[in-house]
Amino acid sequence: MRTFTEYLFRYRGYVILAIILMLVELAVEVIQPLLMSKIIDEGIVAGNVDSILLWGGLLVGTTIFAFAIGIVSSFYSSYVSQNFGFDLRQGIYESVQRMSYNAFGKFQEASLLTRISNDVNQVQNAVFMGMRILLRAPLLVITSLIMALAINAKLALYLVIAFPFLSFFLGWLMVRNNKLFRAVQQKLDQVNKVMQQSLMSVRLIRVFGRMSHENKQFQQQNEQLRAHTVTTMIFAELANPVVIILINGCILLMLWAARHQLQMGSPITVGEIVAVVNYAMRITGALSMISWIVTALARASASMQRIDEVFHVKDHEQTDAPSAQKPLHLKGDISFSGVCFTYPESNMKTLTDVSFKVKPGQLLAMMGATGSGKSSILQLVTRMYHSDAGVITIDGKNIDDYDLHQLRINIGYVPQEIMLFTGTVADNIRWGKLDASLEEVIEAAKLAQIHETIMELPQGYDTLIGQKGVNLSGGQKQRLSIARALVRKPSILLLDDCTSALDVETENKLLDAINKLSCTVLLVTQKMSTTTRADSVLIVDDGKVIKQGTHEQLLQLSTLYRKIYQSQRGKEATEWSNKTEQKLMTP
Amino acid sequence: MEQQNRTEANDSLKGISRWLHFFVLPFRYEKPSSFLKDSGEARQYKGLGLGGAPGRAPQQVKRSENMWGTLMRIWSYLAQYRVRLIAVLVMIVIATGMTLLGPYLIGHIVDHYIVESKDGLLFMLLLTAAVYVVQAISAWLQNIWMIQVSQQTVYKLRTDLFAQFHRLPIAFFTKRQQGDLMSRASNDIENISSSMNSSFIQVFSSTLTLIGIVVVMLSLSPLLTLLTFTVIPLMFMGMKWISNRTSRLFRMQQRSIGALNGFVEETLSGQKIIKAFGQEEEVIKGFTSRNENIRLAGFWAQAISGFIPKLMNGLNSLSFALIVGVGALMTIWTDSVTVGIIIIFAEYARQFTRPLNDLANQWNTLLSAIAGAERVFQILDEPLEVQDESNAKPLTSVVGDVEFHNVNFHYDQGQPIIQHASFQVKAGEMVAFVGPTGAGKTTLISLLSRFYEPSSGAILIDGQNIAQYTRESLRSHMAFVLQDPYLSEGTIMENIRYGRLNATDEEVYEAARLANAHSFIMRLKDGYQTELKLGGVGISQGQKQLIAIARALIADPAILILDEATSSIDTVTEIKIQEALQRLMKGRTSFVIAHRLNTITQANKIIVLEKGKISQIGSHEELSQQEGLYRKLVQGQVVLEA
Repeated sequence: MRTFTEYLFRYRGYVILAIILMLVELAVEVIQPLLMSKIIDEGIVAGNVDSILLWGGLLVGTTIFAFAIGIVSSFYSSYVSQNFGFDLRQGIYESVQRMSYNAFGKFQEASLLTRISNDVNQVQNAVFMGMRILLRAPLLVITSLIMALAINAKLALYLVIAFPFLSFFLGWLMVRNNKLFRAVQQKLDQVNKVMQQSLMSVRLIRVFGRMSHENKQFQQQNEQLRAHTVTTMIFAELANPVVIILINGCILLMLWAARHQLQMGSPITVGEIVAVVNYAMRITGALSMISWIVTALARASASMQRIDEVFHVKDHEQTDAPSAQKPLHLKGDISFSGVCFTYPESNMKTLTDVSFKVKPGQLLAMMGATGSGKSSILQLVTRMYHSDAGVITIDGKNIDDYDLHQLRINIGYVPQEIMLFTGTVADNIRWGKLDASLEEVIEAAKLAQIHETIMELPQGYDTLIGQKGVNLSGGQKQRLSIARALVRKPSILLLDDCTSALDVETENKLLDAINKLSCTVLLVTQKMSTTTRADSVLIVDDGKVIKQGTHEQLLQLSTLYRKIYQSQRGKEATEWSNKTEQKLMTP
Repeated sequence: MEQQNRTEANDSLKGISRWLHFFVLPFRYEKPSSFLKDSGEARQYKGLGLGGAPGRAPQQVKRSENMWGTLMRIWSYLAQYRVRLIAVLVMIVIATGMTLLGPYLIGHIVDHYIVESKDGLLFMLLLTAAVYVVQAISAWLQNIWMIQVSQQTVYKLRTDLFAQFHRLPIAFFTKRQQGDLMSRASNDIENISSSMNSSFIQVFSSTLTLIGIVVVMLSLSPLLTLLTFTVIPLMFMGMKWISNRTSRLFRMQQRSIGALNGFVEETLSGQKIIKAFGQEEEVIKGFTSRNENIRLAGFWAQAISGFIPKLMNGLNSLSFALIVGVGALMTIWTDSVTVGIIIIFAEYARQFTRPLNDLANQWNTLLSAIAGAERVFQILDEPLEVQDESNAKPLTSVVGDVEFHNVNFHYDQGQPIIQHASFQVKAGEMVAFVGPTGAGKTTLISLLSRFYEPSSGAILIDGQNIAQYTRESLRSHMAFVLQDPYLSEGTIMENIRYGRLNATDEEVYEAARLANAHSFIMRLKDGYQTELKLGGVGISQGQKQLIAIARALIADPAILILDEATSSIDTVTEIKIQEALQRLMKGRTSFVIAHRLNTITQANKIIVLEKGKISQIGSHEELSQQEGLYRKLVQGQVVLEA
């Protein structure tokens, strides 16, 4: 809740203003029954038409005044709530961006999305409502009560009886409802998850003929959601009936007392009784509003708790403002010594005692079974994760001592999985360096051997890709990702098995082009054709470097390497294995 | 000195203008009309140069095309709860009646038992108390009964939709975005659920209340009633003015939210790249620009729609003032009105505008729920995968001989996909399909597993036409190992057992051993109980393949269908996979969509497909001798798309 008050505090001036305006409005409303009692007592009972006109005119005048105030306050309160919502959304998104990659991994993407959109909306609406009704209802109750007490304390006292019970009951209801709504929300998440999963594996389910099995599982979750929702709602709906019975009971008691006092000869006027009854009825109306608010608040606070979970992630990356330091050009001398690494939340050691050195401008190839830790080595260089032990240095300086932004600006990274964004081809390449000129973009595309393909696209570099645009083949996407990394003119280029869909010829051209740049390249590959070109080859197995050397050295020293070499030679004898991976461009 | 004075004056002026600025700032927003015009469809977004990510525009309140049809359809779900719904209606009537009766009785008590001090006050008070108790109970009952009905309905709708997904032809899923289907299953159904919970009751009770109030008021004093009605035209005018503006603004807001959601979705899934490229600040800029749009549209939408309760309040007070003022005059000039009547009238007039307001609010909710229901029904109305013929019988045992007899296939009215396909396979043989993309390899497999039906010709298993069997029983004799292994979330044990649900733990271990998966599974911390996560860091692609093979092994099928993976898997794992596949194919009739030469050379029979026709059939040796696509492939003159 601290986040909530902190964000709302920024607009305290307007919050106060809105509340003051609301109080004015309220005052007018509260005065009305009083005016009515004047009309009755001074007008009707005394038969004075002038007095009726006077008080009646006042009644109309105050009404118009209250309306005008209400319109103005609507602006202030929506100013607060929209800005508050804006800030909150901005805050969550920024804290998601500032999180370490590791902390980010703990949230499900879908759940982050709902927090940013749905949950913020819930809270934002609660704030808006808060300024307009939340305070209004209790204030209406309190002021009406005070007015009633002022008019006739003896009568109004009967109304007061109900309040301790009511506040206790509503408070208890709110706490319970909050818990129940959270549970319902979780169940709903669960149902949606099962639905989504089953949509993802619809083919599998079909070929194994497991439809009834899946249906049964879904029905179970769905039934639980239904039951949860029904119990929660039945409970939440209790508020209103209880309020009705309690308050109206008090009114009846009060009427009973009024009659008694009249008979005892107390100085009570009919106008007074009427006014007090009118106040009591207003209280009833306001109270049922409160019971509705209690439910809404329970929901909003459940949402705020979900938002707070994001804010409370302490695991932030060190990100100084990028402009703070002047750009630093690294040479690209990389060294790992005794590096160990375990993924957070995992008990398996991913890397054990990894040591190697790469000189600036060299090409280091990494080979090994899937899951042996090659990608993790690359991710440690980008400082996406931190090693548990050992030292990684670049140009002789521990990478932890670099400013994160300065370090990453020097790195061009191409991950194994392809991630392109909605936008044009040029946008996607420029993503690597936002101020790149078109010439630079084209140069990078040429280096990545994708320029000609791009020129064949309907709008060349302005062709839209992504959901609405052209579909590119796997190999084309890979080369586009490489162009995005190359446009940065990086000192260190990290290629994570991103040439798998390229044929030997294109790959060779690409490597030739990269060779001409002065950058250190770390490359994960499965292909012998690539390792033969490398200055040095690292064989990684089960998180350990088993051998390092040139292609020739390894052929001598490593039986595993020889075995792989022979198996691929065998395939390459007919040039089949690699040729199949070449894309057939014609339809 | 003078200088100083001036700056002081300036300061105080700044002070004043700062104060003034503070007060007027909220009114200084860009006016809605100015940005509604230029923003027709796409507002330009800053940051990253990424075009406005389309995203999904969530829950736009749009008028449904066939509202009555959809309503009838919803009714068909509700109809089975007819009795309960009638009970709800009865409760609504009672609750509404009691709500109206309460104030009336209180006015009556004041008039006759307090002002006039008649006898029997206690009885009247108890009667009124009873009225309130009945009101409370019936209000509660109507709500909980309605909630029960609506949640049952939503449950049914969800279950139907889920089952429907598994009855639709696979082609359906290639046409649709998963996000869109998910949004129907979650957002739209939630929408229906929440509005059924409240709107139905609200609409009924508001209408009833309105009628009831008018009747009571008329019976009390027609003149005062007319007076109350004078505010109605004012109300309609006000509402019209407001909703003309807000409906556009709300649409605008929804669109902005859609754009923001799309942007967030994309940047969350590309988080790795954003971090590695240090582009956090840039995406934040992009987010800010979209967020600002929401704020702008949201501000005006909220500010203007915020007028509604103010208007209602104002009109309420106005009619209150009119009634009290005019009523008071009437008590003096005529005898037709008493103080009690004024009290009652004031109370009713307050209640009069509320149901009107509620009706206006609920109308929008209802419309959006109906639009949501329509989107759900659209899916339920999609043509199903062809269902089994009524005389279909289960296929009990299979030896494994397969024959295609002059099979032709085309989609409705479409181009022929498969032409004159004929070949024979003996039990236990391995067949490799080779050919360029689109040649019909996958279609042949789909015909064999009856995802499609041949347009003419017949497919025989053990000499019997497969058209006479039920699909599920036919497929139960086949196992599929596909390019994408399609593992589901759950433990490794559960994933392997998916091949045969009643397999014992021992059988699972055995299958994993044969599939070369046992050793790597045992190295995982939780072994067979390791939870596989979708897209999580869990296990590698190659290891997933091994689990998929184990899953096929445990199913122990007579016929095996294999779509060879093309993605690059490291050599060591690939050797393991090949080994496991050898064991899997042994003694089974296997159909392989092959991409690797060493797989193909092992086949007993190679079927070369070109443009839907079988161009060559034979063994590797035979085909290598012949002129044709196969030899060109082997010699590397032609390449296939992976």
